[in-house]
Amino acid sequence: MKQVLTLFLFLFSFVANAQNKVLFNEATKAYNEGHYEKATQNYLKIIENGEHSAELYYNLGNAYYKLNQVAPSIYYYEKALLLNPKDTEITNNLVYAKNMKVDAIEEMPKTGLSKIYKNIVSPLSFDGWATVAILFVLLFVLAYIFFYYLQYANQKRIAFITSITSLFLGIFALIIAYIEYADFKADQPAIVFAEEVIIQSEPNSRSKETFRLHEGTKVNVLEELNDWYKIQIIDGKTGWLVSKDIKMLRDF
Amino acid sequence: MQMTFKQYIALIPLLFLAFISNAQDESVTFEMKLSKNKLGLNERLRVDFTMNEDGDDFNPPGFGGFKVVMGPSQSISSSWMNGKKSYSKTYSYILSPTALGKFTIKQASIIIRGKTYKSLSEGVEVTAAVDNPNSPRTAQDVADDNIHFVAEISNTNPYLNEAITLVYKLYINPSLQISSPKTLDAPKYNNFWSQDIPIERLKIENGTYKGQPYNFVVFKRVVLYPQKSGKLKIEGFSLDVPVEVPTNRRDFFGRPVYAPTSKTVTAGNRTINVKTLPTTGKPASFKGAVGNFNFFVTTSKTHLNAGESLQAKVEISGKGNLKLFEIPKLTVPSSLEVYDPEFDEKVSTNLSGMQGKVSNSYTVVPSFKGKYPLPSIQFSYFNPKTKKYHTLNSEELVVNVLEGPANTNEPNINSSANNNTKQAVVSTGNDFNFLKLTPNLKAIGSNYFLGSTRFFLWLLLPLLLIPIAILFGKKRDAIASDVVGNRVKKANKLAKKYLSNAKKALGNKEDFYIALEKALHNYLKAKLKIETSDFSKDKIASLLVEKQVDETTTENFISLLKNCEMARYSPFSEVQMQEDYTKASDVISIIDKQL
Repeated sequence: MKQVLTLFLFLFSFVANAQNKVLFNEATKAYNEGHYEKATQNYLKIIENGEHSAELYYNLGNAYYKLNQVAPSIYYYEKALLLNPKDTEITNNLVYAKNMKVDAIEEMPKTGLSKIYKNIVSPLSFDGWATVAILFVLLFVLAYIFFYYLQYANQKRIAFITSITSLFLGIFALIIAYIEYADFKADQPAIVFAEEVIIQSEPNSRSKETFRLHEGTKVNVLEELNDWYKIQIIDGKTGWLVSKDIKMLRDF
Repeated sequence: MQMTFKQYIALIPLLFLAFISNAQDESVTFEMKLSKNKLGLNERLRVDFTMNEDGDDFNPPGFGGFKVVMGPSQSISSSWMNGKKSYSKTYSYILSPTALGKFTIKQASIIIRGKTYKSLSEGVEVTAAVDNPNSPRTAQDVADDNIHFVAEISNTNPYLNEAITLVYKLYINPSLQISSPKTLDAPKYNNFWSQDIPIERLKIENGTYKGQPYNFVVFKRVVLYPQKSGKLKIEGFSLDVPVEVPTNRRDFFGRPVYAPTSKTVTAGNRTINVKTLPTTGKPASFKGAVGNFNFFVTTSKTHLNAGESLQAKVEISGKGNLKLFEIPKLTVPSSLEVYDPEFDEKVSTNLSGMQGKVSNSYTVVPSFKGKYPLPSIQFSYFNPKTKKYHTLNSEELVVNVLEGPANTNEPNINSSANNNTKQAVVSTGNDFNFLKLTPNLKAIGSNYFLGSTRFFLWLLLPLLLIPIAILFGKKRDAIASDVVGNRVKKANKLAKKYLSNAKKALGNKEDFYIALEKALHNYLKAKLKIETSDFSKDKIASLLVEKQVDETTTENFISLLKNCEMARYSPFSEVQMQEDYTKASDVISIIDKQL
């Protein structure tokens, strides 16, 4: 019985997979013929079917760009970048999409120290740093065992230095991985979908307006209370807005 | 039938007669005239009852509150003019009031040509005695009665910012002559935005004032937009009017002599109750526009090259307080360069308020190629006629920049992804890229390596290797250093190695001894590295001696071998078998030690 069920599930997933491929190809065709509306529908259907990829989000961003829809276009490009941060095609088209948005926000200048930190940290993702930490720990263990068993003083010394160094490097990599992970968790990017949204000083509609944002601007969600999000924009300003006005990027 | 025809002919003159009598009936008048409506107790009142056809049975009213001093006196005048007869007959009474107060002269009746006519009753007010009763009125009195200054307000209960008009009219009785009036005190219209509608030339027009024919001059027209809600006061407008009043005297040529005087008149001392605009349904984009408007956003071009300029115009046209509100700002993508708008107004003001259009023109210069949608902007106004707010949205426009450099210095704000803070500046494809064709679809969901059990196992298990390795090494050393234990262990091991078959066969005499013998031989073979199959007891004994194994051990070994041989031919008990087995293992281990 169980086997039948698994077989059925397998077949089903296979069918869904094939169906998604068909949808994808149809969407490409529709896009090329200028039926952008249909293309977006197909892409959204694929997401509904539970599958995604950087390419899918990129194509969806393209279709929305062609439809002059600023916010969805930027939203899906950013999503594609989350999955594949180094793709130049995505970054290129994202620049086009960002041309359409109203807000120009100056990024907060980084201090020298944080720049150095970023330079050290950014080449690898936290998963990358985790792998590095494991490799160093392995190296430490091997070198320590060698140190324990080797007979000659010279060899022993080299093994000891290697083991201690790799232990420290391993701990360092682990710390960076966790810091980066914490940053990643704290970073909840979202895109403004409302045409214009008033950022309030408190999470209620009676409070004072602090500033306004327009469609397509990226914000970072810091906290939430009921239906309100506390957000921060890249120049460091913070405020509250109604959650329906923005859409979280990391919903997968 | 013939008779009836004759009757008709006879009826015709009668018909004419009826018409005539009808005509006469209509023109009959009978009315009462009072010399004044207000008089002092020591003055006299003259009451005339006039009719235009002779009548009988004149029945005067009772003059309550008055005493008849004289009358009724009759006067008749009749004349023919251009073949038309005019006739008038008047009954006059002179009355003297007997009490203070308000009285009514009631209806009088008369029968004219068999019909009863009645005059209208009229009220008279009797005041306290005056100084010079029945004196002729002075020029000032006449001017007072015949010049009126009136301010007409179109709406005394307007909404905030709703236009109201104030028209100042000077009414003059046609018998008076005036020269141009002098302004004494003009109101400032505090809390109003006011616009004067200039009057080029004062023009005398005909009109009525309280039912009387009068001439009037529109002296001033102002459009006011209240800027504050609540009760607002408009100050009075005072004029000094030089006037010439006709007197009863005539000059040499028979023209009436005019007496000059001047009169100060004031009008428009009014309070206006300004309503606040309703708060329910007030749109967020409402900036105080009140009236009825249209709203457009237009661009001069939709396709252009980078570096060229285009004009984007935000225009509001219609009726209302056009000059008094802010034009909504144009929102453009930040990557477009926009200069300050140029304001332009074409507004004319008339009695119904301001009319026309106001606009802001923005010069927009794109510097990079791409597509720039100008988002739709909102304009809200309050329509005081429908008492509702209306919101207009402009159309969304798209500016296509066809040629030009791609935007490469877009400020990079992408800090979300875990490792793309140093996002590559786009340098490869300058054009908008086409779709990607391979889907590479994966199931949605994220599983990160960091923090997973797999990660912790990989991280911590290698650390366990260290104690394991150390323990292993220690054990090895300990084994190496402990000689006796080592030997015992070795013997056990040897016994296990060589005697395992024998042990299995324990209890089965034949098999056991064959296995035992074989084991002993094998042991020696392995230990002494003998390749031959010659295993005579003597040879073994000599070999063992040669290897310096002590004698008892050798003897034991030999005796074991002997036992093995003997056992094949003689009965052996279980116990003996067990004994031999232990003996064999002992001997093997002892030999091993000695070798």
